[in-house]
Amino acid sequence: MSRRVAVIVFPGTNSEEETVRALSAVGLEPILVYPRTGRSALAGFDAYVLPGGFAHEDRIRAGAVAAHDPVMDAIIEAAQTGKFVIGLCNGAQMLLETGLVPGTGALRRPTAAFAPNSSGRFRSVLVHVKLAGDPARSPLTAGFEPDAVFPAWASHGEGRLAAPAQELDRIRRDAHVAFEYCDRNGRVSAAAVPNGSALACAGLMNRAGNVLALMPHPERIAWTFQQRDPAIIAAAHGAAMRALTPAGGIVFFRGLAHALAERSPRPQPQCTGGVR
Amino acid sequence: MRTYEVELTIPDNTAFTALGALQRLGISSDEIRRTDIYCFDVDAAQVGALDASVRSIETIYNPNKHRLAIVTQRPAGEVWIGDRADDARRAAKTQPTMSGERNIVIAGRRLAGVRSVSRATAWRLRRGGQDVAPEVLAKATAMLLCNPAFQEVVEFET
Repeated sequence: MSRRVAVIVFPGTNSEEETVRALSAVGLEPILVYPRTGRSALAGFDAYVLPGGFAHEDRIRAGAVAAHDPVMDAIIEAAQTGKFVIGLCNGAQMLLETGLVPGTGALRRPTAAFAPNSSGRFRSVLVHVKLAGDPARSPLTAGFEPDAVFPAWASHGEGRLAAPAQELDRIRRDAHVAFEYCDRNGRVSAAAVPNGSALACAGLMNRAGNVLALMPHPERIAWTFQQRDPAIIAAAHGAAMRALTPAGGIVFFRGLAHALAERSPRPQPQCTGGVR
Repeated sequence: MRTYEVELTIPDNTAFTALGALQRLGISSDEIRRTDIYCFDVDAAQVGALDASVRSIETIYNPNKHRLAIVTQRPAGEVWIGDRADDARRAAKTQPTMSGERNIVIAGRRLAGVRSVSRATAWRLRRGGQDVAPEVLAKATAMLLCNPAFQEVVEFET
């Protein structure tokens, strides 16, 4: 029986379909969930994903209004019981607005933010991200190779990690940075950061490692035909079905599948090829 | 210093959403007003030129949908939310002139005599035709209007 993952769809969310496809590809059972869903129904999921988009048109600030939606009360409750919660782009912004990530302050009193890019502009660019530290730091990254690098699309106007200096020190010291921007060879540098993010941070997590906020979109480059790596493209050349197999950013979702499999005695899900 | 207030003359969807969100959070208010505040540190001799420039920079003021006014002090009953003083983002770029001075450039327009520009969003909450109590505005600020990770309540020298 598959693990059920709630994919939360707010008004303005736009990345739920590709997120669902990526979750299905790693053997999970994603279910689209809308804000009016009752709390008791939301409690029955094994994990929760907040996909990307422009929930509530990013009015006031990205993620600010959604962070106060009643559905987030259920998400917060689930996170506090140790269930896995992932936010992608706009979802990541929501998790920081709720204070779940980095989780160093009170709820809904954010201590860090994915703030407006240093350029002041929206930017859409292919990036690479790598694990920032020990894979064992979080169940969501425990299945990663230590030097794993995967591609993702940074597509946002508010993706810069910002926080007061003491908070940034604490984030770094307590290993809250889950993923860093890097080049395709895994080298972290200022040039690889598309938005001026402090600590080259692409993804942030809470202390327990069960809540992870990732700014770039791995689901937008999760299939072979989407890859830009010449070696991957060459390997798939002339093999149409191979082009439809998972690749690249799918690594991130395998991390969630691995974490869920490790949590219970059920058989480890296999990555199923093809499109849902 | 020269400070401008820019307000939408068409319905403000962001303000409408903020009001609804605040009401759901238990903030007792039935009216909200949101404006953009631009504070320029400018040479006194260039104020006239700046007034003309601001009126022609459409990313600040579009006469089809904005009202522009000069602000001489923050009105009572408003809270101004701006970037934290220690936040890294800049509101505008500087470019050097032939003589080596650096001028502020906004939307490609060089603003002579302007040393810096600061931005804020001004919010006003009202109930029954009156401004809400300061503690209610403070609560709304803390709960929703300001993210302390990169924003703070600001007071510009006007």
